[in-house]
Order: sequence, then C-alpha cells, then structure tokens
Amino acid sequence: MKTFVTIFRKEFTDTIRDRRTLFMMIVFPLLLVPALMIIVTNIQMSSMKKAEEKVLRVALVARANAPGLVAALTGRPDLRIIDGIPADSMEAMIARDSIDAAVVIAPDFDAAVAHMTRGTIRLFFKSSDDFDMVKRRLSGVIGTYEKQLVAERFATLKMDPAIVNPVTIEEHDVASMKERIGKSVGGMVPYLFVIFCFMGAMYPAIDLAAGEKERGTMETLLTAPVSRFQILLGKFAVVVLTGLMSAVVSIFGILFGMRQITKIPPEVMNAVLAILDVQTVLLVLSLLFPLTVFFAAFLLSMSVYAKSYKEAQSMISPLMIVVILPVMIGLFPGVALDPVTALVPVLNVSLATKEIIAGTIKTGLLLEVYASLLVLAGLSLFGCARWFEREETIFRGV
Amino acid sequence: MIVVDSITKTFSISRQQRREMGPEFKGSRIDAVREISFTCSPGRIFTLLGPNGAGKTTMLRMIATMLKPTGGSITVAGFDVVKQPVEVRKRIGFLTGNTGLYDRLTPDEMIKYYADLYGMDAQTYGRRREEIYGLLGIHEFAGRRIGKLSSGMKQKVSLARTIIHNPEVVVFDEPTAALDVVTSRAIIHLIKRCREENKTVIFSTHRMGEVSLLSDDLAIIHRGTLIFNGTYKDFEGQMQTRSVEDEFVRLVEAA
Repeated sequence: MKTFVTIFRKEFTDTIRDRRTLFMMIVFPLLLVPALMIIVTNIQMSSMKKAEEKVLRVALVARANAPGLVAALTGRPDLRIIDGIPADSMEAMIARDSIDAAVVIAPDFDAAVAHMTRGTIRLFFKSSDDFDMVKRRLSGVIGTYEKQLVAERFATLKMDPAIVNPVTIEEHDVASMKERIGKSVGGMVPYLFVIFCFMGAMYPAIDLAAGEKERGTMETLLTAPVSRFQILLGKFAVVVLTGLMSAVVSIFGILFGMRQITKIPPEVMNAVLAILDVQTVLLVLSLLFPLTVFFAAFLLSMSVYAKSYKEAQSMISPLMIVVILPVMIGLFPGVALDPVTALVPVLNVSLATKEIIAGTIKTGLLLEVYASLLVLAGLSLFGCARWFEREETIFRGV
Repeated sequence: MIVVDSITKTFSISRQQRREMGPEFKGSRIDAVREISFTCSPGRIFTLLGPNGAGKTTMLRMIATMLKPTGGSITVAGFDVVKQPVEVRKRIGFLTGNTGLYDRLTPDEMIKYYADLYGMDAQTYGRRREEIYGLLGIHEFAGRRIGKLSSGMKQKVSLARTIIHNPEVVVFDEPTAALDVVTSRAIIHLIKRCREENKTVIFSTHRMGEVSLLSDDLAIIHRGTLIFNGTYKDFEGQMQTRSVEDEFVRLVEAA
C-alpha cells in the first residue's frame, strides 16, 4: 500500500504539472465549454431575433386576384411589398437574396373563395436561410387571413365552428418536467462527460506510459524494488482520477454555462437544476467510475505498447470516434435501455444516464449496466496488467 | 558480486521486424546473447565492451532484472534475478546514458521518490542525501524543476538517484554517451569512488579511453557471444596491436 501511495503521489504531481493535461482536464471543460455554450446560444438567439424582426421583402404577383389577402399583407411594418417583379425572375431573385419571398395569387382565387372552395396561393421562399423564418412568418400572416375567411363562412352558413371539430382532446401529460427534459436533453449530458472522461484520461495515459518510455524513465523505474503491477496500479489510479475529474468538471462546466445563459426560461432552468440533485449526480458518478476504469486500462495498454508519445497519440486519437459513436447512438430516438443495450459499453452509460436524469431508471437494468461495466473494467485491468508484464510490449522500441 | 552463468536470451521477431531485417533473415527468433558467463567481483570495475547491437544492453538489463534470461542463471549479491528479482533490485543501482529523469519534478522530489521506492527510512535518507548532494554539488539546484537544468546538472541528479540507496552493485549502461567532457569526468570519478567503497561495478562503454582508465576486468561481446573475458592486464598482455581501440577492432573482425 505504501508503495502504491508513493507511486500514485509522484505520478499525480507529475501529471498535474503538465500544462497540456491540466488544460484538457480542468480549463477546457470548466471554462471553454461554458464559453462555447454561451457564445453559440447567444449567436443563435440573436440570429433568431434578427430573423424574426427583419422586414421581409415580398414580391406580390397578381394582387388583383385577392384584394382581401393583399389587404392582410400590405400595411404591415414587418413586410415590404414589392410589385412589378416578373413571375419568371422571382426564383432567381430569391436565390440571390434580392427579395426574401414571393406570393403568387392564382387568377381564380377570389372566385374559388366566394364559391366556398379552395383558392390557391403559391409561396416562393428559401428554406435554408434564417431558420426557415420567412416561410413561417408569411404562413402566419396568410393563416390569420384564412381563419378570418373560415369565420366568415361559418357566419354565412349560420353554423357553429364546433361542427368541424367533433372531438375535443384534453391533454394530460403525466411526464414531469424533469422527465421531459431528462429524455430530451438528458442524452447530451453523457455525450459531454463521456468525451471529457476519455479526453481527461487520454493525455496522462500517454504521458505516464509511452512518454515515460520515450524519456527513458521507464527503464530506471523498472529497476526499483517494486513489482510491475504496483507501478501499473499507481499510474492507473492517476489516469482514472484525471478521467473522473475531467468528467465531473465538465458537468460543472455545463451547469455554469447554463447559469450564464440568461435567455433560458426560468421554469426550464429550475427543472434542469432540480435534475442535478445529489442522488442523480451520485448515480451518474457511480456509472462513470467503472467506465473510467475501462478507459484507463484500455488507454494505458495502448500507451504501454507505443514506442513514443507521438505514436501513442496517433494510435489513441482515432479511438475518440469509437467512443463518440455509441454515445451518439444513445441520442437517437427509439434507442432505449433494455437488457441488450445495457451490455453495450459506453452506449449503456449514455442510455442509463438519460434514464437516471429523467428519473425513470429501472433497478434491474441499472444493475445489469453496473455488472457489465464492472466485468469490462476488471477484464481490461487484468489485460493491461498482463500486457505491462510482457517484455515485448514494455521494451518495444526501447 | 555478479555471477553470470551460461546466459542466453532469445527474442521473438515480429513480422515487421523480420521485414526490416531483410530477406536473408530466416526464422522467428533471434539470440541476442548466447551462452555467456563471467563474474564481477566487489571492489573491481568490470567493463563490458562491444559494438552496437552486440548484446551489451540486453546483458545489463538481465542483470538489472528488467529482462528474464531464456537460459542459464544470474545471481546478484547472492540473489537469483528470476526467482528473487525484488531482492536483486534492492541491491543494485542502474544508470543509463539516457538520463531518464522526470522534467516536471525537482531533483529533491525525484531522489526522494526513489528513496521511498527503496524503502529508506527518513533518517537514513536524510544522511545519505546530505552526503551525495555534497559530493555532487546538487544543493544549489535541488529545488528547481529538472526540465530547467543543464545536461550536466541532470546527469548529477541521475547519479544521485542511482546511488541514493547505497547499492552493493552498480550497473552503468553507456553512462557517458552523448555527454560533455566535464560531465563524463564526474561520472568516471563516481565509478572510481564506487570501487573504493568496495561496490561491484559493471559498465558498458564505447569510449576506449574509459576502458583503459577504469577497467579491472574486461569482457568483449560480439554478436551475442563473448570473444574475450579476463583481467584488463591479461587483455593488455595479449594485445597484437598498438592501442586498445585497434585491438578491439582486430578481435571483433576476427570473430
């Protein structure tokens, strides 16, 4: 135990003095993530507001065919109606942003409306711009006009509008706000902390094995009167700790970032804060621990095999995609925690975290996830220890 | 004392290594060391000489318990390197040409780390630290990060790390390789001091000047086998050329 503490203490001191590790472990998740969240949200919100408030330039063709609709469209401060644009050049003008949209009224529009049939309006727009706001805003204006026509028709026919709505649906959503938010955005939490857990463990793992081989310190360390397993365990504990720290810091980073985004509705913010209660956080951390053990053992095995820091980096970096993929699958709708997905590493953590945040986790499945992760962590640690004992591995390139 | 008896070390060759070695190499294994025997006695300096790839480092790594011999036996201070590796490691100090230090630690932290690994108590460590720091002049930079030190200072820290636990046996694997004259001289001084303290010293080198300066006993290794094993005086006595270097080349070419 004393030897383990000695090795752990030295490796930890050495690791936290490495600026690159410190940046990936603390600075990046704690400051850069909230900063990115705030910047992206603010840009998005401001673009959305701009798109909502922008005065749309709308070409109106054949205005004589529907005076009522024209009246609804003209005289609005948020629309600038442009006449006299030829029908064949409208699409090109929208494409090059000379105008935002065009409304073409069919010749028989008024007659059709008068005969209580359907009048046709052709709406030209570019959906790729401004969150499709042009279509939404114009559809809103036309929709209001349509409602007015419908009301007039009911009045003409002396009918109760309820006649076309024979069924009233009274919606009672039994899902709590916590559950709704948990299921919708809960998937994003593991997405971030699993990645940070991997990244936080990655650099120390590379430095403590491949880096040590490259610097020539591994050779002298192996002549110390301690077993290779003790050396590995000390290094391994530091890699696990840095991975965990990075993941936990990333959760704080997300929380900190959310608090700084003032535009989040208070009821959503309160629900998010309620989600992160002590029990939820502890449950999530308990899932994170065996996952980090698995990552640490896996990363150290790769790192021990590599001849140099650079080789370890080029071997390990592509694995990030392998880690991200199951987390992304966990975000897909319809993918749920079941007895099969509970066995898939990383995906099971992603899905279980989502269920924990939503408060809908089933004990049996949670235990299956734990069992699967612990078996995996144990096997990977065992494999790593065997790997570390091999002369061919540890002296590869030394 | 180190007793090496009929030691053989065979390495497996990977497909990639086989490709690198060219089409003339057949087989999946290679003998790095074959049937080597010698004895290093306390109070004497044993020099292991050989061209690159001769098997010197493999031999020294087996003595230091980093590699396990494929055949034969090695005892260090009476302990078998395979059966009692931890006992062997307690009694040896190992220094390579590559300084092997942690740049983000200070010399104090680095040396204390090894002292702790060797299980030294605080009192013994304190006494030994003062003695070695005084001998090598480490006090003035003991609290600075190793990464900021000059190569000479680093080598002094390496030396201190090697002998902090006062080992009975000291293994130097090309300790002066790529070092300047001043730093090399400090190492040579330390090797001599180890002999005066009745330690068993084995070192490998490429520098012929060091061979004549330090060697009490000498072994020349080439392609994994011994082509000379005896005292330095014996070596000088049987020389057919004018210098140690010429004689070394003659023996290697004749082998």
